[in-house]
Amino acid sequence: MTTIGILANPAAARDVRRLIARASSISIAERCAIVQRALTGLGAVGIDRVLMMFDRGGIVSGLERAIEHHRRDVPLRWPELEILEMPVTGEARDTLKAVQLMRRKDAKVIMVLGGDGTHRLVAHECGTIPLVCISTGTNNVFPEFQESTVAGIAAGAVAKGLVDRNEVCRQNKRLGIRVNGQPQIGALIDICITSDNWIGSRAVWRTENLRELYLTFAEPDAIGLSSIGGLLKPVGREAEEGLVIELGPCDTSRQKLEVPIAPGLIEPVGINGVRRLMMEEPGRIRSRSGTVALDGEREIEFAKNDTVEIVLERDGPLTVDVSKVMKKLATKGRLS
Amino acid sequence: MDLNRQKLLEAYEMMKTIREFEDRVHVEFATGEISGFVHLYAGEEASAAGVCLQLDDRDKIASTHRGHGHCIAKGVEVKGMMAEIYGKQIGTCRGKGGSMHIADLDKGMMGANGIVGGGPPLICGAGLAAKTLGTGGVAVAFVGDGGSNQGTTLESLNLATIWNLPCIFVVENNGYAETTPSKWSVSLSGNAVDRAAGFGMPGVVLDGHDFFAVYETAGEAVDRARNGGGPTLIECKLNRYYGHFEGDTQTYRGPDEVKKVREAKDCLALFSEKVTRDGTISGADLQEIDDRVMQLIEDSVVEAKAAPKPPAADLLTDVYVSY
Ligand SMILES: Cc1ncc(C[n+]2csc(CCOP(=O)(O)OP(=O)(O)O)c2C)c(N)n1
Ligand SMILES: [Mg+2]
Repeated sequence: MTTIGILANPAAARDVRRLIARASSISIAERCAIVQRALTGLGAVGIDRVLMMFDRGGIVSGLERAIEHHRRDVPLRWPELEILEMPVTGEARDTLKAVQLMRRKDAKVIMVLGGDGTHRLVAHECGTIPLVCISTGTNNVFPEFQESTVAGIAAGAVAKGLVDRNEVCRQNKRLGIRVNGQPQIGALIDICITSDNWIGSRAVWRTENLRELYLTFAEPDAIGLSSIGGLLKPVGREAEEGLVIELGPCDTSRQKLEVPIAPGLIEPVGINGVRRLMMEEPGRIRSRSGTVALDGEREIEFAKNDTVEIVLERDGPLTVDVSKVMKKLATKGRLS
Repeated sequence: MDLNRQKLLEAYEMMKTIREFEDRVHVEFATGEISGFVHLYAGEEASAAGVCLQLDDRDKIASTHRGHGHCIAKGVEVKGMMAEIYGKQIGTCRGKGGSMHIADLDKGMMGANGIVGGGPPLICGAGLAAKTLGTGGVAVAFVGDGGSNQGTTLESLNLATIWNLPCIFVVENNGYAETTPSKWSVSLSGNAVDRAAGFGMPGVVLDGHDFFAVYETAGEAVDRARNGGGPTLIECKLNRYYGHFEGDTQTYRGPDEVKKVREAKDCLALFSEKVTRDGTISGADLQEIDDRVMQLIEDSVVEAKAAPKPPAADLLTDVYVSY
């Protein structure tokens, strides 16, 4: 029996970015449809079982309704859907717990539907299980837009061993973080220190409040915080280094740069310095109080007595390159 | 976020006043001295406070049957409210409205409302007036998950969009409309926020127990509305501590549901924990507020009880407004 996990975040893409910028939003109904398309792809390559967590957002309830309808109307080749037995709180810890259970239940691949934040949580618990990443919004850097039927085929092919996972997976970097010596859930793309006092609505968009930015990679065509690095000094996803940028208010900084900080929002940022971040190089942030934003979301408030340390690490999650998988399958001339 | 010490203390006092007011009405209602229905807002304070602290005198709000919190947050006088609930002459509406009809137009509070979904059309009117007169005012309707299903609400979302009104619709999704779960009754799996896209307006969902999240988001929505950006829908996911109305046996709720919510999602506890962490505000500062609030509530109950009811001769006064 081959098992796949699907982690679909019901909360992503409906935060304050809809208000301050022109970020897209994907309804629960559409998320549910994305999962259904993925199930079709997974079924086509012979995956037997899919694990999901129950969510209060309504994705799983919608799915169960769809399965019920389909059972009556059309014969389906969908895998069996198993809902993980766990308490659901509607909070981030649900994702962590669900991924732990998927690991325990021998999921060979985890498909993730969500934004950078969801991927960050999954990556924290997935170990060496490869991820197939599907972005459910326009404000993401880590996952790419991916049609989920095809992503399902690719996920299934890797899980079934139809392609060699070493040839189609990428080893990602990550940023580790400790607060007062205690390890926290790290970041996949960026850690930004801001002068905001409060986590509040979480998103980071007031560029005058940005102070320090740590990046695992930075691509010039990115949206969000990493675009700052991408436009200053691009670093590839697979490069052996990252980037550190010192930021400040525009009027007191050495350089001013306009960046797409959020979908539909181009703002100037003040730059005071850029340098490489070496692998495993230990570092402590300079700011004395503010918030730490992890992959674009304010998550930690810190004050003058707290120490915050950040380090670039090699052991981020493995991610499946869907296009590579499909090319391999093409050489075989069939899907399964 | 422009939350200095003063503003934080103000936010705490506002939420604490709502909580104590509701806890006290809960106790007093059980004595049988209050007539009519009361629907308590305890547990949902961060929503009213987070939104209303972003408003000023130009702005109007419309409330629901669960309206005490909105009234207090918009500045309606607490003693008048308590007396109103007791049906006394010194009440906000001279004792003729009761809990579900407290209104104070001078404070921009257009009224609690016995009609579920009654608020949104009102704020379209207030929004249109503000826009036409160029006052810079914003109008906010609070509405429940049940209210979000009413035709009046959906029509208002449409109207606010096509007229690009400075309106904000705050859906306070507390999981139930009376006994009906919102998961079941609200389309899109209980997510009223997802309807916003259908009307072409931004929709934001947030944890309604988190004052800071509500305050910051509401601030952005208010700025946008003031600057001609148009309407916004904000869905606050939150919980009510008491029954739908006082006397509700709540057999539709899980055995420990409320207990768990009170433990993990008390907006006041979450707020206090946060603001005292770095020492800007001390436990003693909060205690001082607690004492003041307790005294205010105590005084308002004593005064309300002692006050006279409206006499029979006043039956037909204050019923219609003459324009
Ligand atoms: C038009 C109308 N229909 C029905 C009622 C009866 N009623 C009073 S409160 C309520 C439920 C409202 O639920 P919700 O909007 O979620 O607000 P909550 O009570 O949860 O704050 C109903 C159906 C009413 N007052 N008005
Ligand atoms: Mg409700």
